[in-house]
Amino acid sequence: MLQNELFNNVIQDLNTGYWELHDNPKRERWSDKFYENLEYAKEELKADLDYFLGQMIHKEDIEVFRDNFLNYRRNNVNFKQHIKILTKTGNYKLFRCATNDELPVNIKSEDKYIFFFEIKLEPDQDISKDNFYYKETAQMTATGSWYVDFQKRKSYWDFETRRILEYPDDYVPSLKDSANYYAEDSQQQAADLFFNCAMAGTPFNTEIKMVTANNRVFWVRAIGKPVYNESKEIIGIRGVFQDIDDIKRKELRLQKSIDIIASQNSRLFNFAHIVSHNLRSHTSNLSLLVQLIEDIDDPKEKMALIQQIKEISSSLNITIEHLNEIVTIHTNRHQERKLIKFQDALKLVTNGISQMIALSNAKINVDFSELAEINYIPAYLESILLNLITNAIKYKHQDRDPIIDIKTYVEGNKRGLKITDNGRGIDMKLFKDKIFGMYKTFHYNEDAVGIGLFLTKNQVESLDGSITIESEVDKGTTFIIEF
Amino acid sequence: MSHKIGLACIIDDDNMYVNLVKKIIEAKNLCQNLMVFKNGKDALNYFEAILSNLDKKSIPEIIFLDLNMPVMDGWEFLDNFTKIKNKLGKTITLYIVSSSINPTDIKRARKINSVKDYLIKPVTIEDLESIFMDHTI
Repeated sequence: MLQNELFNNVIQDLNTGYWELHDNPKRERWSDKFYENLEYAKEELKADLDYFLGQMIHKEDIEVFRDNFLNYRRNNVNFKQHIKILTKTGNYKLFRCATNDELPVNIKSEDKYIFFFEIKLEPDQDISKDNFYYKETAQMTATGSWYVDFQKRKSYWDFETRRILEYPDDYVPSLKDSANYYAEDSQQQAADLFFNCAMAGTPFNTEIKMVTANNRVFWVRAIGKPVYNESKEIIGIRGVFQDIDDIKRKELRLQKSIDIIASQNSRLFNFAHIVSHNLRSHTSNLSLLVQLIEDIDDPKEKMALIQQIKEISSSLNITIEHLNEIVTIHTNRHQERKLIKFQDALKLVTNGISQMIALSNAKINVDFSELAEINYIPAYLESILLNLITNAIKYKHQDRDPIIDIKTYVEGNKRGLKITDNGRGIDMKLFKDKIFGMYKTFHYNEDAVGIGLFLTKNQVESLDGSITIESEVDKGTTFIIEF
Repeated sequence: MSHKIGLACIIDDDNMYVNLVKKIIEAKNLCQNLMVFKNGKDALNYFEAILSNLDKKSIPEIIFLDLNMPVMDGWEFLDNFTKIKNKLGKTITLYIVSSSINPTDIKRARKINSVKDYLIKPVTIEDLESIFMDHTI
């Protein structure tokens, strides 16, 4: 009896409804508080399981509650479960069900009870609100969920997955053609991720390119993890796709500007080095000369030495002009590009050096059929042509007249210009790294200055192009410019 | 008994610098003869030719080598020169004289055994005098 009293006190304190279970279902009893919570009078309800399952509990909760209940009654398996029960006024109330193991330890009951603790939701926190928040979150973060069911061989998408992939609301995703949801260059990556997840249970969280129904390629973050059944076999993959196209594109743009800045920085560093080196050689000569002037007593010799200052000053000027040319290239890079016909630019150049061409007996073959014109800074195109043509003539082979082939080409999305000569060629093994360097010369010509190719490379690169060279001694040289 | 250096060698493409050093050597009477090469290749050709007729008088006792030169730069000359210098049968002291103040150049030069020292241009008259004095025994 004492125990019963204690129990009654506890129940009163808990202020909660409960069922009293019996081996004989006929004797089962529902507490007053249970009726009260659901706004019913005792005679309005039939206190048995079938009635409860059939009339009162929300249909989503039926199966689990039935299993739990029967297990508890027959096998003493305690359980906990959330269920929704219909009230007399037609609303569902949420309850937490608990069994005897929830009772305080000092209370032992001979009988089995199921307690129904009412969960009072805040006014704006009921189930439909939760659903609303889930939808809001999904939409605002553009995150769709999906599930691939290996047993039924089907995939399921939520409304947001359909939305970000631009499919209609009633679209049924295809498991067989799932590769087609990914951009062509991402299909292998997707296949690897899903294969590893399905076979080894490796979860994934990655950035990948997908294709919408309208064939728009966009970036998503794809997160997936394996779903196991009770025997720990993988029976599916569950995950989300988040549309991160904006962010990813910004990131890619940022990366591109970082690359550009890095290459400009390295060019600047290189330039600073060139400036320091080229100016230093003159200033150190000047300093040596001054020492000598101070050291020598003979006035005549002194005068002769002073004359040499002129020489140093003029070489200093030439160096500074060269440096200026380089600086101009980089300040000019935003100069307006114009559509120029290669033929026109070449004509301008060959007119300027017609004497040199005639004297050397040079023959220039031209083929601009693949690419007749280009959007470029006219002065650069002329300077590039001038430099490469005069080089071909200056370094012609001693045994033959120069032949220069100039050809434009289009390969895929690459557009370029090839200038090939039959000159003496450059030993690529020795000079590979130095060809485009400043003040590098490879031949014994007295008039070789070593500035032309350096300028050409700077001009090409300032407009985001590239220049490469192929050459063989005694055969000739080909310069390839990609615009 | 003091012995003046008989033959010194400059490998440098800067005419102005070479002329000035020549003048200093003449004015201070630092050595009897001076030979000049415009780049590493010319100098290397000369030393390779000497290997076949080993006329010790035409081997310089001291070399001033520039680094930045056309055709063959100072580093490449050093690579090749190191391979043949022991066959020349005469001690040759080599100085690098460069306007490069790049620390990696200086470090690289210090690692090469056949390089006695790295002089940064501009050299002074005193530098030249003391180098020639060191070798005058």
